[in-house]
Amino acid sequence: MEFHALGVHEIAAGVRAKKFTALDVFNECLDRTIACESKLSALITVTADSGRAQAREVDAGIARGEEMGLLAGVPVILKDNMCTHGIRTTAGSRILGYWSPPYDATVWRLLSSEGAVLLGKANMDEFAMGNTTGTSAFGPTANPWDLSRVPGGSSGGSAASVAAAYTPLALGSDTGGSIRQPASYCGIYGLKPTYGLVSRYGLIAYGSSLDQIGPFTRDLEDMALAMQILAHHDLKDSTSVAKGNIDFSLPMGDKNGNVNLKGKRIALVKDFQDFTLDPPIADAMRRVLRVMEEGGAEISEVSLPTVARYAVACYYAIAASEAHTNLARYDGVRYGLMVNTATSLKDMFEQVRSQGFGSEVKSRIIAGTCLTEPVRSEEYYVAATRVRTLIAAEFGKAFEKVDAILQPVTPSLPEKIGESDEDAMKGYESDLYTLPVNMAGLPGLSFCTGYARDSGPVPGFPSEPTSGLPVGLQLVGPRWSDKNLLDIAFELQKVLGAPQIARGGI
Amino acid sequence: MSDKTSGDALTFTPVIGIEIHIQLKTKSKIFCSCSADYTHDAPNSHICPVCMGLPGSMPVLNETVVQQGMLAGMALNCGIQPTTYFFRKSYYYPDLPKGHQITQSDLPIAEKGYLMIKDDAGNPKRIRITRLHLEEDVGKLHHSAADGRLEGAATSYVDYNRSGLPLAEIVSEPDISSAREAVEYATALRRRVRYCGASDADLEKGMMRFDANVSVKCSDGRWGRRVEVKNMNSFRALERAIEYEVKRQSKILTEGGEVLQETRHWNDAKETTMASRVKEFYRKFIVEPDLPPLVVSPEWVENTRAALPEMPDEKLRRYVEEWGLSEVDAAILADSRDVAQYFEACVTAGANPARASNWVRTEILRTLNERQNQRQNERQNDKQMGAEELAVKPEALAELLIRVDGGKISTTLAKSVFENMLEGLSLDEALTKSGASEGGVKADVLSDLARATLAANPDVIEEIKAGKDVKGKKLKFLQGLVMRETKGQARPEEVAAVIEAAIKVLLK
Repeated sequence: MEFHALGVHEIAAGVRAKKFTALDVFNECLDRTIACESKLSALITVTADSGRAQAREVDAGIARGEEMGLLAGVPVILKDNMCTHGIRTTAGSRILGYWSPPYDATVWRLLSSEGAVLLGKANMDEFAMGNTTGTSAFGPTANPWDLSRVPGGSSGGSAASVAAAYTPLALGSDTGGSIRQPASYCGIYGLKPTYGLVSRYGLIAYGSSLDQIGPFTRDLEDMALAMQILAHHDLKDSTSVAKGNIDFSLPMGDKNGNVNLKGKRIALVKDFQDFTLDPPIADAMRRVLRVMEEGGAEISEVSLPTVARYAVACYYAIAASEAHTNLARYDGVRYGLMVNTATSLKDMFEQVRSQGFGSEVKSRIIAGTCLTEPVRSEEYYVAATRVRTLIAAEFGKAFEKVDAILQPVTPSLPEKIGESDEDAMKGYESDLYTLPVNMAGLPGLSFCTGYARDSGPVPGFPSEPTSGLPVGLQLVGPRWSDKNLLDIAFELQKVLGAPQIARGGI
Repeated sequence: MSDKTSGDALTFTPVIGIEIHIQLKTKSKIFCSCSADYTHDAPNSHICPVCMGLPGSMPVLNETVVQQGMLAGMALNCGIQPTTYFFRKSYYYPDLPKGHQITQSDLPIAEKGYLMIKDDAGNPKRIRITRLHLEEDVGKLHHSAADGRLEGAATSYVDYNRSGLPLAEIVSEPDISSAREAVEYATALRRRVRYCGASDADLEKGMMRFDANVSVKCSDGRWGRRVEVKNMNSFRALERAIEYEVKRQSKILTEGGEVLQETRHWNDAKETTMASRVKEFYRKFIVEPDLPPLVVSPEWVENTRAALPEMPDEKLRRYVEEWGLSEVDAAILADSRDVAQYFEACVTAGANPARASNWVRTEILRTLNERQNQRQNERQNDKQMGAEELAVKPEALAELLIRVDGGKISTTLAKSVFENMLEGLSLDEALTKSGASEGGVKADVLSDLARATLAANPDVIEEIKAGKDVKGKKLKFLQGLVMRETKGQARPEEVAAVIEAAIKVLLK
């Protein structure tokens, strides 16, 4: 049986009903993973032994007649910046090469307590800095739809894993688009939840006030299920918010019915209209807008001038400022890369950090160091935090009139591996559609609209056949509207169809 | 040391500001649930991902730290800020696990306070307190060299037990003009933070540390630049370091030199300050993104203020004005809160304030001191013994003192009774054990005792008969013998009367 093609809810239901065992599921998913890995390099660590042990435990629990959780026997993959007790956690960096945390991230504690089984730790841009998964100290990950292209980043490994069906669920983290952009490049769903909805405890920090953990799935029902478990108030994370129990369950069983978006107020951003989009993405925008209109949604425009003009600069100022303090702890004193050749304390710090960090990380540390220097701090870091307040207010005002914004995730389809290595600014500019969402702590959902070739699942779409790559768009809503974004996407899925499994090079 | 140091025709006025770190009294650390009490435990036995700053760990503010910080601020007459923030202060040091320290920086929870001290002329002087802010402590380095210093050490070890202990940094304005004033300020500050229960401020355990900013103003108008002297961990070191620094700077100015702005370390063994390696790093601050703004509600502030006890200065004044004690005695009683409370409870229970003052200053303090030494020798518990731990409750002591005042018990007997009560006996049990019976000694028993005593000392009687006891010394001697026989439980005037009566009989 091809377990890897099943969704989260299907596997959990099957295991609980004893239709198949967690171990069978795990082994089959592991086989597929191993078959694809030589082409994709989506994982840094494959946890075959501990995963099998966890699967056996689930099976034993079921055999004993115990009540098993919502994720009984579901194989999952975690981005390698989420701490797993006793399992190497590297954040894609040489400086943490063989570090095994003595504790679990809250998200993994939540998933595993529901019976999830860990299959591996996903490749990522070093310390989540990058948008290609090319800055990883463990080498780049390939896009499972086109091995010559990037899967996006920084959660590229997690996105590629789900697209190629290693597992039906993986977690990523999104500081400026690091879930939504790879989800879009790999043709799956990726949700960056509202800041504070999912605990960050145990997430190796990049920009703490921007970071947010979220799920990748090929199915919206799976995503709703994952959020049901992950949206949890955590006393170990002071920025985690108690929102009570949000009911994420979707109106299932109506997948082929008529699109119903009556009463949903959807907006386009006026200030983004001038930016150039790749034709397949522009087509997707037009197509989805038509589906929405036909489904009864009210379409309008909102204006976000401050966002359009200042978000990118302010984002990088804040992210780098926070990053350089978050990365100051890697000094070779307590864990991670250490050196024995140092002649002084300063020499030791310098050697460890010179050898341990890659160039993208170094450049952001240096940027953060400069931006927060006492003489410049007011002009850069402090100014950026003030603009951030304006950005949040601008979004707040826009969302008084609309329920969600429809916009691209990126202006272009995935680039070739290595293409932008020499041009860091290209990557930065392409983040305009994603990072303001983090600045304001909003939820953003990336969804697949189809494929850039005429054999795509949507008849007549797209009008200009290109490479066959998936084309994603995103929905952005006000804080705590995560469930509403899933509802809207669920209606769109009735016409657009569900994401397909990528061949992953096999 | 005087506040003016003369060099030829020039005089120098020291201008001193002090930064004091105190460890706030809490069960757990400031941002995690590790125990804050590690004194006798092995290095790195009280650590977790949070206080080690491991990747992925996040701080969660301990509310008791906020409470204690507010209390300390109020005890130092500071105003409380309703909304403040935490910042990351970045620098590199092996004992700083995260590469940054979480601190309140320039938005402190308490600010604009003051403390009253006496200046060198004995006049009241107000030392302004700029601010009190909360922060985390760092770890501690142990160097492998024999003397524990870094020089010559092949290896250094880091103990992170201290990492994350809650600290309050209290910064004064440069209002202090001498080393003596500095010590008085620090002592008064310690007394107050102990009083309100915010800190034990035990210097030996590193719960209180001093840095001093010292400069001198020359009578010819020249100013020395500010020198920060760090690393003092006793009142003596604070005093000596300031004296040394004032002398050093005055000498430089006298010789026409220039005082450099620098950081110097106090070397306790050599009793000198030394320029420390220049720390070139900038102290950079960003808002701590893992902690929300610290908001204290008006109710919380109000409740904290209600929990603030009467401060030592006010107590002292009350003891002098209401209870007629001398300022010296009142100061001893008011010095620590538990003793003051004991004394007051004793007076409230009816004891005469003067007698209670006398007993508390002698018997109670002596006992506390002995017990404390005993504890330390036996290493059972190195917590300061509090008066409230004594078996003799203040109400029981008051009862005893009332009897002494009523003439029912002599002072000698009372001390014996007190010793027995310290062993856990009630007043009545202790009276019995000390050989006293209720109501003193019966008159006939006393007469018998007097007769027996006289019979046993015929030579003394002869001398009295011969009229040699001009000053009444012999009579007092006999009186003393009887008192001893009664184990002090007889009233001296009764004894005197019985002996006089018996001698009269003999003289007939």
